[in-house]
Amino acid sequence: MPLKWLLHWQPNAGTTVNSQILSEVSQCVESINGAKEGRWKSTLTFYRPVLRDQTLQAEYPRDCLGISLQEQPNKYYFILRSQRIVLEADSTIQMIMEKLQSYKSRVSLYFEGFQYQLGDFQLRVGKVVPTHSENLRGIVMEVEYLPISSLDKSRQIMEDFVDIWQETVSKRSLPGHFMHIEPNFAEYGLSDHYTSQHTAVQYAIVMAQLIASVRN
Amino acid sequence: MECVVQGIIETQHVEALEILLQGLCGVPKERLRIHELCLKSGPNLGAVASEVRLLCDLEQPEPTWTVRHVGGAMRGAGAEQISVLVRTVVESKASKNVLRFFYTLGYKLDHELLRVGFAFHFQRGAQITVTVTSVNKMLKLHATEEAVPVTPGIQLVEVTAPASSDNYTEVVAAISSFCEYLAPLLHLSKPNVSAGVVPTAAAAAASLMSNGGVT
Repeated sequence: MPLKWLLHWQPNAGTTVNSQILSEVSQCVESINGAKEGRWKSTLTFYRPVLRDQTLQAEYPRDCLGISLQEQPNKYYFILRSQRIVLEADSTIQMIMEKLQSYKSRVSLYFEGFQYQLGDFQLRVGKVVPTHSENLRGIVMEVEYLPISSLDKSRQIMEDFVDIWQETVSKRSLPGHFMHIEPNFAEYGLSDHYTSQHTAVQYAIVMAQLIASVRN
Repeated sequence: MECVVQGIIETQHVEALEILLQGLCGVPKERLRIHELCLKSGPNLGAVASEVRLLCDLEQPEPTWTVRHVGGAMRGAGAEQISVLVRTVVESKASKNVLRFFYTLGYKLDHELLRVGFAFHFQRGAQITVTVTSVNKMLKLHATEEAVPVTPGIQLVEVTAPASSDNYTEVVAAISSFCEYLAPLLHLSKPNVSAGVVPTAAAAAASLMSNGGVT
């Protein structure tokens, strides 16, 4: 499948993300002739272990994330970042986890927004909001390059595109910038050939960044 | 949900059963070689203990994994009266690192089995699957190549069909009706309600083998 980079908005120190920034970013896409196509939404859920003895918490993963992706409506992904595990399963795995009652879903977040076509690129700009609130927690952008599935072969063209994108956004003098962090996919057992498991890992990494920037 | 009945048959009569099922089905059997790992939650995990099964299909060129959760059986006076077990089941395909995933969550291997045999699929009022398998245990951890039968000379027959809360009575009726075809060779009942082998099985098997053209 085509590869994608997931960028996230890094606010400048002392500032927070807001809907004005989201609006400006969307206008940037349109200013470079991105054709608005439709909506997209992915969902990320935090799972926590249910323990009889809370003092033994350290023995269990506290960073279990479940992800449902727009691009794979019948699949569900679990990521255990500390152990570098990404599991791909059918979406019925959520029902199994509910029946097991050993891990409970806590907070869920939506990544949602509009999708744009720009030549061989497909862009998705999205806000990050808790499922029961409009409280903006972050802004993300998926940059998908349709012709290529190889991470290595696409690296140059993706870097060139992101450079142009960063330059476009910087003209608006917004209090922050987009960042791209490339996970070490090999540590997760993933190859150069891009898959939705790669996407799930990128979401987990971005989530960790969003949490860190809120803390800071 | 699924509806289930089980029975046992002596290995010497399995060939006759296969002839019978082939005759009813018309489509060749599907070979089965499934490594089943039963995982249970560690002592601290969950308010109540939980169990999940991982099934690895070794018959595929690239082994495929399924996660299976078997829930409670339907209860109540109505359930007592029907001869078929109705229970909740949820399955999910999963990537091959699923065992490592559950170990990391805090699940432990309780036991593992290798089921070897075959299956036939029927559409007779319900999507019925009949599996005939020898159940084998591994002498060393995950050593599927060195598995030995748990009950030598006896194989397990399972008749299952998926169901929903809307249609389970029809599915139960379809299974009960289907089981009558197999009655000469084996007695099928709810799991854990053992009825043993059928006394007339040998005669029925002999008849099937001669009719099946086996010389």
